[in-house]
Amino acid sequence: MPREAEPSQNEKDFILKAVREGHRLDGRALDQFRQLDLKFGEQYGVADVTLGKTRILAKVTAEVTVPYTDRPFDGIFTITTELSPMASPAFEVNRPTETEVLLSRLLEKTVRRSNALDTESLCLVAGQKCWSIRVDLHVLSHDGNLIDASCLAVVAALRHFRKPDTGMEGDTLTVYTPAEREPVPLSWLHSPFCITFSFFGSISVGEDGEEKDIWLLDTTLLEEQLRVSSCTISMNKHGEICQVAKPGGAPVEAVTVVQCSSLALQKVKDLSDFVDQKLAEDSKHRNKGGLLAELSADNAR
Amino acid sequence: MPLDTSTYNLALLRVDGRRWNELRQQKGQLGVQPSADGSAYLEMGNTKIQCIITGPNERDTKSTSSASTAPTSGGLGATVAVSIMIAPFATVDRKRRGRNDKRLQEMQTTIASGLAATVQGQSYGPRSTIHISLNVLSQDGSLLACLINAASLALVDAGVPMTDYLVACTAGSTSSYAAADEEADPLLDLNTQEEQELPFLTLATLGATDKVVAMLTRLEGMMATAADGCKGVRDFLDGVVRDKGELMVQEGAIGRGEVVSSMDLD
Repeated sequence: MPREAEPSQNEKDFILKAVREGHRLDGRALDQFRQLDLKFGEQYGVADVTLGKTRILAKVTAEVTVPYTDRPFDGIFTITTELSPMASPAFEVNRPTETEVLLSRLLEKTVRRSNALDTESLCLVAGQKCWSIRVDLHVLSHDGNLIDASCLAVVAALRHFRKPDTGMEGDTLTVYTPAEREPVPLSWLHSPFCITFSFFGSISVGEDGEEKDIWLLDTTLLEEQLRVSSCTISMNKHGEICQVAKPGGAPVEAVTVVQCSSLALQKVKDLSDFVDQKLAEDSKHRNKGGLLAELSADNAR
Repeated sequence: MPLDTSTYNLALLRVDGRRWNELRQQKGQLGVQPSADGSAYLEMGNTKIQCIITGPNERDTKSTSSASTAPTSGGLGATVAVSIMIAPFATVDRKRRGRNDKRLQEMQTTIASGLAATVQGQSYGPRSTIHISLNVLSQDGSLLACLINAASLALVDAGVPMTDYLVACTAGSTSSYAAADEEADPLLDLNTQEEQELPFLTLATLGATDKVVAMLTRLEGMMATAADGCKGVRDFLDGVVRDKGELMVQEGAIGRGEVVSSMDLD
């Protein structure tokens, strides 16, 4: 199995020493994100997130299928991740690495298990027909912090997505093409975002030698290889935590985790505003000359 | 599956009759599998785990293909490989699980990297592996916590040097965000019914893992409760190990106060 090339001893020592002194290789503050950009595609439901050199593409598709027998009133919502060799030589096709398993589980817990998408609204005919919403996530370039960027891409893509409008007349279900009726957005309940804290051991501060954990936000791949443990907190802008995961690694003070959660709220609010603003820009761009209002079915006829 | 949690507010008793800060009945045993290098059996309520340790022995990539591995002592020590098997009869409805269950893989990774932080593997060298096989015989909530505890216990039986027990416990919250009920109690050591109903977290002390599905305002309370629970679990595990030691002295397997050389750390 190919592995990521390990940084040399000199690099390790240099970066760790710098981090202990409060500096990073690219000159950012310890809690500063890299340049974040979000672009939407021509189609609905395509989001392209760039975070520094990390680039992630999410695409949402919808199709009508039969619901699961044990959940006749719920639609189907799946998130699939693909870490292709294009992003990094350490990834292989059809052989999920630990990174990929953890990433997809995290997205699952953050977006799916937190009921961000109301799956009941995807039901068309109970027990017979429902929408199946599928998010395909492709990592195009891997330079660290895949989790935060992926979560942002998934949430942005889902909020941008429009599914074809449907109508029931008697027993017949009609799925209208975009030409017939304007597609409708998904029933979206809240937008969770992930913030990953990477820990680099502790330093003593003050005269009494009190230990303080050092952590970084939005780590690059190099920093990620050197961290001793990480903690991912997912929450929405109202401060509701969807999940917190610290998958092993070096121990961290419980107080630090609680502090991190309050800092994560700040960052989540920033991300939330960023996505809202980009979505507003996109809808303004699409809605040239106020055509959408005219096409909408709910005007005063 | 709505569970009627409203009764909790009336009598302050949970569905199984416990108070908010009570652990379930625990049973532990060391050396349940004489042919293994180390083994343990742990019950926390109706969650029953058997853990078998093989090794440390030479690394064998074939047998670790489905296990999750983590190196100890910053890559200079032995590797910890964890594999979990859930028996098909462990839950109420009989179910076969595939090998590629992501939830299981995630738990394996969590346990492996959690234990790697406490196991002192440098005495074995980087080319050796400690295999930890966890068999879930019965499943009733707090699975991850119980798996971690069972693995800690079995590692003690195997005589693997560790800095301390890695112990875990779950805590849930009865308050809902909408109710904004600051007074609501956190609950300790959840069973399946409570896990399905409430937001909860698994917290392992000395290190490693937490997984929270909770509200921010209650996070601190829940973490404090879980940490307290971990102390209780640690005392229990320590009791099991001491009882075993006492038994070994009585049976004459080792003399009182004798130090086993392989366990001598410093």
